[in-house]
Amino acid sequence: MLSDARNAQIVFLSTFLILGISTRDWTIQPQLIGVVVCSCLLTQWIITLLQQSSLWQDWEQYSISRSSWKSALITALGLCLLLRANSWTTMVFAGGCAIASKFLFRYHGKHFFNPANFGIIFALTFTSDAWVSPGQWGTDWWYILFFLGTGGMILKQVGRWETSATFLANYAILEAIRNAWLGWSWDVYTHQLMSGSLLVFALFMLTDPRSIPNARLSRIIWAVSIAWVTFILQHQFFISSALFWALFLLSPFTLILDKIWSSPRFTWHSIPVIKSRIKSSQV
Amino acid sequence: MLKIPRIFISVLLAITVIALCSPPAWAFCGFYVAKADASLYNQASQVIIARSGNRTVLTMANDYKGDVKDFALVVPVPVVLSEEQVQVGEAKIIERIDAFSAPRLVEYFDQNPCMTLPRGTTRGAADMAMESAVPEVVQADRALGVTVESRFNVGEYNIVILSATESDGLETWLVQNGYQIPSGASALLQPYIRQNLKFFVAKVNLAEFNQSGFQSLRPLMIAYESSQFMLPIRLGMMNASGEQDLIVYLLSNQGQIELTNYRTVQVPSNVDIPEFVQNKFIEFYKALFQTAYEREQKKVAFLEYAWDMQNCDPCAADPLTPEELKQAGVFWLNSQQFPNVFISRIHIRYTRNTFPEDLQFQETANRQLFQGRYVINHPYQGEMTCDAANTYKQSVRQRQEQEIQNLARLTNWEINAIRREVEFVNVEPQPWWRQLWDQ
Repeated sequence: MLSDARNAQIVFLSTFLILGISTRDWTIQPQLIGVVVCSCLLTQWIITLLQQSSLWQDWEQYSISRSSWKSALITALGLCLLLRANSWTTMVFAGGCAIASKFLFRYHGKHFFNPANFGIIFALTFTSDAWVSPGQWGTDWWYILFFLGTGGMILKQVGRWETSATFLANYAILEAIRNAWLGWSWDVYTHQLMSGSLLVFALFMLTDPRSIPNARLSRIIWAVSIAWVTFILQHQFFISSALFWALFLLSPFTLILDKIWSSPRFTWHSIPVIKSRIKSSQV
Repeated sequence: MLKIPRIFISVLLAITVIALCSPPAWAFCGFYVAKADASLYNQASQVIIARSGNRTVLTMANDYKGDVKDFALVVPVPVVLSEEQVQVGEAKIIERIDAFSAPRLVEYFDQNPCMTLPRGTTRGAADMAMESAVPEVVQADRALGVTVESRFNVGEYNIVILSATESDGLETWLVQNGYQIPSGASALLQPYIRQNLKFFVAKVNLAEFNQSGFQSLRPLMIAYESSQFMLPIRLGMMNASGEQDLIVYLLSNQGQIELTNYRTVQVPSNVDIPEFVQNKFIEFYKALFQTAYEREQKKVAFLEYAWDMQNCDPCAADPLTPEELKQAGVFWLNSQQFPNVFISRIHIRYTRNTFPEDLQFQETANRQLFQGRYVINHPYQGEMTCDAANTYKQSVRQRQEQEIQNLARLTNWEINAIRREVEFVNVEPQPWWRQLWDQ
């Protein structure tokens, strides 16, 4: 099962969601979770159907993957973890936008917006009843370690740990410099960094391997830029959802980086691929 | 919030009496400074913040208890304020908001199990009055890097807005002008200076104060526009040895306002508790809050009330009228429409170690309603002459047991002590088969 890293990610995101609801006193309404999951899967299914129809046959670079529902589910779980809304229509909108962005914003077959992030930004901007809660995890040590552990596992599986590490290191250094310059004591600094939301973002959102730059060097540059933009948005413009905006604004940058440093695009390894190979060899 | 038919809604008690029992400490967002070694007593601080977009109106309750001439208040603010931007508010309005949003006790009276009778009335409850006092000192000295940006009088206060280039200079300036700064203040002032914040310094104009006939100092209100949405609490922790309480009433036209750098937890609510708590509600809530606070390792803020201010259910006090809302700082009211104000009441008990960062807030569109509500059920006391009586009594007995468990869990009071206070309903013990076969 663990040969496909998405399975592990689904398990972990679901665990976080259950933990968050049961122990962290979240304000999420359970029925909205179902709504998001359904809208993501439904959008994925509808668009896949459309692509199979004669209208879209010239889009040959898109190969239909039966396991793409897993990606949709991961997007849905990401939205549940991070986005809050009053009404189910907003969640449907977020889920629909998230999945649609995978198909609408592509360049040479690669989608460059992180779907969950796209959904969050669009919901925040175009609806009046969506929000994100940076303080929802608190700063307990246990959660930090848990996130680190599971994130590390998943990242090792997909080999993108340097993105998270670079982002976190840069962000930590920038915050340290600012803290020292302001003259706060160090416990203010540790309190700022021990945010569960920051870790979830860095470990699970920033490293969606299908939408981030392909080459290692470009990923590092990209992560550094995101750290800087987050820092500026947070402390100059006082935007509390700075993380998501930074990722959104720098997503198109991925394409430029891919042009400069090219490298094969990441593909998920999933068992159905092996099965179909066996089948075709038997034919 | 449950709507039970034939409910008897009743006495509601305010909670801010907790404030009376906080240990002495410095003010939350600035510090009270004394001219001489006056002993300062600062109860729980109360703040109203009305926010919409980038505009904020901040109302600081003034609960200083000491000699009026020794009072001074220093608060970091994001922009230079002009005289028009500072007002003296009404202490009454803070009491009103407090009463409206306080955790409430409701009582239900069981009806006669033998027949049905409609009943219902509503009563409200009073709140604790705030007292305050203010000392005064002001002067400027440019050589210290301190610039007096503006200086004016509002009501019984003399206000000075300062900007500083370095914290030692600011500290010297304050000391030279008669403020007894706690040691180490310069280190705490530095981050605010570096963030380019100004300092709002207020003291009492004795002549005005004596003339005005006020017994206590009135709240200060400031209005400003800044994308920063924060409440500085670090200055107030300077010499505090114990825990300080802060209650923030956040008013918004969108929904709940929440903290972004600390976790917020709802106080335990909607719980049945024994009847005798009616006379001990203050102690009950204090114990409940302290228990919840310790359970969360003292690191979280507590949400005590989140409601649309147009209505309430049940009402601890009458909803605020549009005039009162204006007095509270709500600036987006349109005279033609119903007031669209959502209140979030956040109660924070903080120390230097557990709350190292200043509070940062954000508006959200969250309109979920929440209130601290505790329920007392009174068993039916009259004559019961039907078969259902005994079943009813047994269910009451079970309920009383559950209420005792709830109370012990919420307040950590010793369970046997609780049991002794409860008047148990008299149930004739009967064998279980009798209930089955109605013999």
